[in-house]
Amino acid sequence: MIARLPKFAGFAAAAGLLLFPVFYTAGNYDFVMHLWITAFFYAILASSWALLAGYGGQFSFAHLAFMAIGAYGAGILDNYVVLTSLPTGTCSEFGLFGTNIVFLPPSGTENAAACLDAARATWPAGATVSRFPLLLQVIFGAVLGGGFGWLIGSLVLRLRAAYLALFTVGFSEILRAVIGAEVWLTRGQAGLPLSPLFPQGITLFGRTYGPADKLPAYYVMLFLFFGTLALLLWIARSRIGLFLRSLREDEDAAEALGVDTVRYKRAVFVITAAIAATAGALQAHYVGLITPNTIVVLQMSLVIAMAVIGGLENIVAAAVGAILISFGLEFLRTDFTVFGVTVDMGTWRLVFFGLVLMLTLRFLRNGVIQGGLMWIERRGIGAETVAKRRATETVA
Amino acid sequence: MITLDVRDIRKKFGNHQVLKGVSFRIDGPELVGLIGPNGAGKTTLTNVLDGAIKPDGGVIRLNDRRIDPLHPYEVARAGLGRTFQVTRAFRRMTVLENLYVPALAMDRHANRRLVDEKANEILAFLTIDHLRNEYGRALSGGQQKLLELGRLLMLDPDVYILDEPFAGVHPSLMATIYKWIERVNGQGKAIILISHQMESIFTLCRRLLVLNFGDVIADGPPQVVKNDPEVIKAYLGNEEDMSGTGLVTLKEAPHA
Repeated sequence: MIARLPKFAGFAAAAGLLLFPVFYTAGNYDFVMHLWITAFFYAILASSWALLAGYGGQFSFAHLAFMAIGAYGAGILDNYVVLTSLPTGTCSEFGLFGTNIVFLPPSGTENAAACLDAARATWPAGATVSRFPLLLQVIFGAVLGGGFGWLIGSLVLRLRAAYLALFTVGFSEILRAVIGAEVWLTRGQAGLPLSPLFPQGITLFGRTYGPADKLPAYYVMLFLFFGTLALLLWIARSRIGLFLRSLREDEDAAEALGVDTVRYKRAVFVITAAIAATAGALQAHYVGLITPNTIVVLQMSLVIAMAVIGGLENIVAAAVGAILISFGLEFLRTDFTVFGVTVDMGTWRLVFFGLVLMLTLRFLRNGVIQGGLMWIERRGIGAETVAKRRATETVA
Repeated sequence: MITLDVRDIRKKFGNHQVLKGVSFRIDGPELVGLIGPNGAGKTTLTNVLDGAIKPDGGVIRLNDRRIDPLHPYEVARAGLGRTFQVTRAFRRMTVLENLYVPALAMDRHANRRLVDEKANEILAFLTIDHLRNEYGRALSGGQQKLLELGRLLMLDPDVYILDEPFAGVHPSLMATIYKWIERVNGQGKAIILISHQMESIFTLCRRLLVLNFGDVIADGPPQVVKNDPEVIKAYLGNEEDMSGTGLVTLKEAPHA
């Protein structure tokens, strides 16, 4: 009975999340929806990081860097590539299937679209200009992220534990500095603006939603979250998950037993980096802006803390941990008064958060969620072991 | 037939020549004891055979296929498996999962049900089947040694290298390891047994390789090897006090 509880709870939660935007009607609708979208974003990051670090043992700090690579990849296409129905003649461009792919010269804060604007002035009415398709932007971001994942995965093959962590911190900081410096392309600290997910709005089941409406973005993130969970769980339960755990436990022993550790280490970097990049590309479109400061080490620590508090070695636990903590951090913003002293939670919430992290590490090494799941899953095993031992002893 | 041909293997760490041209050959299901004082190069030789360390020179052929340029996982798949001196069970994986790793690494499309059956049979043979769902770290040191032997059986290589399988093992588990060795050997597999326990070596092996300062100084049947003056010298340094040294067991060891 209890053994079925996690599965039942999982289905109930999934159904609840699917129906939530339709049935929730309170006045703070947009705010709550925004919290959910952010929570899904962090859940995707934390659960994919759990596969990398919890299963594969690759304690990487570059996860948000991959996220940013995806976001900037999409953002650059969004800003500097457009599709037009007529050739401009002045921008660099090429025709494909009757449309023209126009590359605008990146020039920082200056108007990149000058050549396009000049051409448009001469065009007849009815000529169209549209952004580079969202799906292709996201795919480009994911591939770019995966490519960098392959690169970093290859570079850290011989690095373990603390050295790997330091290396990835280094990569992340270099990337942040480069993004900040290359103003002509990324607009530096000001951040790169991105168009909304659905700039023309979208009609779902007969209802039309505008570009600023939260419901479409909610479902986009939710489905990405579900897709990510399905993919990660499939990997974790396949032989790849088994090999990843074996190389986490002992790389030399795994290798001596025929496991191609190089291949699986690279693979887990590529897969999780691509997932992070996909989430980054979509989240950047939802927020409308991506800045280099989204990948500071403190932000990365937040993702790690989410996975650790939920449970590092369980994909779903890490995701649930991320959702709980992103909501928790929001609710902790509310100031309160104890014994006449008002606690300013704007500053103190991170103290409470740190405290939760420390208590988890000290008393619940498997995480809050995963610890419970393990208790349910492995409840009978001790008893089974003893029973079997007794049975064999009586026979002997 | 299984052949392992090791020819002129040399390896230098810094200025220290650890292996000075080691050569030997194994034909068929031999059970070879590899002995030698500490620092003789036994573990380095094992690591070179396994592919973990690349030799500076020399050639290793397994069943007429060159394996010295291969990665350890390729060597394992080519048919050479080894255990480690210090036990290396996957501690946060269950005993059964420990056994699945080599089976699925060897054959990614292996039938899970058959793998499961084989794993359970092996665990029963090793008398640790009641622990199948426990984590590796829940096992005692001796049981972890058995688990490593079980993993190796799942890999099922042609040549097994056992690095100190008896170290720190209770006598009751020792019998299981003996049984395991006889079973593997009886299936036509070659075994290289590294051990400091002369009794076990002399009981089990019909051939001894003695390594000293990176050289094979003796190779032959145990009763011949143990009377070899060079071996005696290597184990003693000088011929004065023999008590408490390996030589006492070497001389008094039962005839194989």
